[in-house]
Amino acid sequence: MLAYAGGDSAAFNALFVRYRQPVFGFFRRRVVDAGLAEELAQETFLAVVRAAKRYEAAALFRTWLYAIAFKILNAHRRKAAFRAAFLGAAKEGSEPAVPCSLEAEIVMRQAVGRLDAVDREVLLLREFEQLSYAEIAELLRVPVNTVRSRLFRARMALHTLLAGGLARGSGAKEGL
Amino acid sequence: MKVAAHPVAAEDLMALMDGELAAEEARVVSAHLQECAECALLMREFRGVSESLAGWTVEDAAPAMDEAVMAAGKAMPVQRAARSGGYVDLNFWKWNPWAIRSGAAVAVLLILLAVGLSIRSVSLSHQARMMTFFTAPEASPPPMPQLESRARKSEPVQADSLSAPSSTANSYDAPGGGQAADSISGKDVEEYKKLASSAVAAQPFSGVGQKADRFKGDIASLDANAAQGLPMIARTVSVTMVVKDVPEARAGLERVLAQYGGYAAQLTVNTPEGGARSFQASLRVPAPQLAAALAEVRGLGRVENESQAGEEVTQQHADLVARLQNSRETEQRLKDILAQRTGKIEDVLQVEEEIARVRGEIEGMEADQKTLEHRVDFASVDLQMSEVYREQLGTPSASVGTQVRNAFISGLRRAGAMMLGLVLFVEEAGPAVLIWVVILGAPGFVVWRRYRKIRAQI
Repeated sequence: MLAYAGGDSAAFNALFVRYRQPVFGFFRRRVVDAGLAEELAQETFLAVVRAAKRYEAAALFRTWLYAIAFKILNAHRRKAAFRAAFLGAAKEGSEPAVPCSLEAEIVMRQAVGRLDAVDREVLLLREFEQLSYAEIAELLRVPVNTVRSRLFRARMALHTLLAGGLARGSGAKEGL
Repeated sequence: MKVAAHPVAAEDLMALMDGELAAEEARVVSAHLQECAECALLMREFRGVSESLAGWTVEDAAPAMDEAVMAAGKAMPVQRAARSGGYVDLNFWKWNPWAIRSGAAVAVLLILLAVGLSIRSVSLSHQARMMTFFTAPEASPPPMPQLESRARKSEPVQADSLSAPSSTANSYDAPGGGQAADSISGKDVEEYKKLASSAVAAQPFSGVGQKADRFKGDIASLDANAAQGLPMIARTVSVTMVVKDVPEARAGLERVLAQYGGYAAQLTVNTPEGGARSFQASLRVPAPQLAAALAEVRGLGRVENESQAGEEVTQQHADLVARLQNSRETEQRLKDILAQRTGKIEDVLQVEEEIARVRGEIEGMEADQKTLEHRVDFASVDLQMSEVYREQLGTPSASVGTQVRNAFISGLRRAGAMMLGLVLFVEEAGPAVLIWVVILGAPGFVVWRRYRKIRAQI
């Protein structure tokens, strides 16, 4: 990233190739529409391009990148919630509708969707983006101990849901 | 999954799995895991959850976005190089939301403060106006004392004014209608002068009382001019002067006023600390003595600006006198009708009402006439005198302690005024704001809850 900030455009290509799929996966696990996930991922990389000069190597590039992605995701959620609240636009589900034939995976995604919003975000950032507790705490602007307790709570709740509660299908979300 | 009391917290097991423990802590927790089957089970469940999540895969991103992002990545370094130097870096991503909220709160507070203070100042100015309204008549000399006293006592009016023509002065309701207008007018002048001098005796200086008689003849000559059809002119003079010493100039002005029978209708003295002293005065000088009085006033210092104006009120006065005469004749005819004819009680009452109305008109016109004639008799001089300021080494200035104390007290007063303004604003605007909160609050709360609910779901 420092090389790109110095004017080396080839460095950006390398970064893009490396983080293209993880960033897309970040959005894909959080929004329903795959096209929208691509759009948000593209917007994230364009933001990286615009902010390259201001980049400081104070943290890992991956942390910085997910911070941008998280802000873009939040902005999208605010707009979507505003449209839904005031304009009556269609609601967006809390989980992506990835075509999947495996029942276990469907059940797992439904279980994740039932978690508390913050707990779910902590769990996803840890499990899929592989961020440390400190990085998650900085991203969500909460203390590290809060991240730890919320992650513990999310894992316990997910285990309970996967162990039996959700398997009986009571109140399972449709269309997921 | 049950978590019993253990020397190692369950969260530590999870942290061990995530590699978030320090080496020493990791060693302790690992040792406990070897011994505790329950914690080992919990650890396996944590791993099971992670393995389940690992099965959540997503499809590959479409290659459509690659071209746009790559192109932007190539173009941006060139643009940055072109605009480097003068570029203002606004690191939006690092803006602290609390800073924005605090700024917004401070802005709202300042707006409320400004509105509150403006309301407070409006209230104070309104009070000041009311005080002026109620106190002003007491400070000014009574312009028409004899007319008012007669009206209160319901005495018949003998003569109409200071300068009423003799041909009209005795034509109204006088039992001994042959009284000489001049003698009546002279008495009125003297009476007026005495009353005026006593009324302005409380002023800083006045020479009216001592010299009133001396200039009675001059004013009577003006009345004679009016009677002869000569022009009546209300004169106004404005003089701005610079003097060497304000107290000395003020004493000189007192002498001039005493000498020529004038008086000060209003006087304001300013003596700012560390600045030039000055005073403004509104003087009334007998018109025939105006030139001489002005000449002496000019000698008190250097005249910076002087302007004179004269408004001819002859036609206005003649018109007023004619209307007054007609009204008096009308009143006399009505009285004759009332005395000589008989009729129904309703007719009598109607005639009396008409007489009262005409009397009111007469009194109003008499007041106007006296005011007009006073403007002619006494020229108005607006005088502004300021001193050439000389800085003095020996000028006593407040000590540091006094200044600190004054600043502290001033600050307390301002803080009190600010709080009072805020309270007044809340009192004045509070009910309206409350109504709007009630009107808009309910639907706003519903929409907000809906927004929060949707926001939590997305």
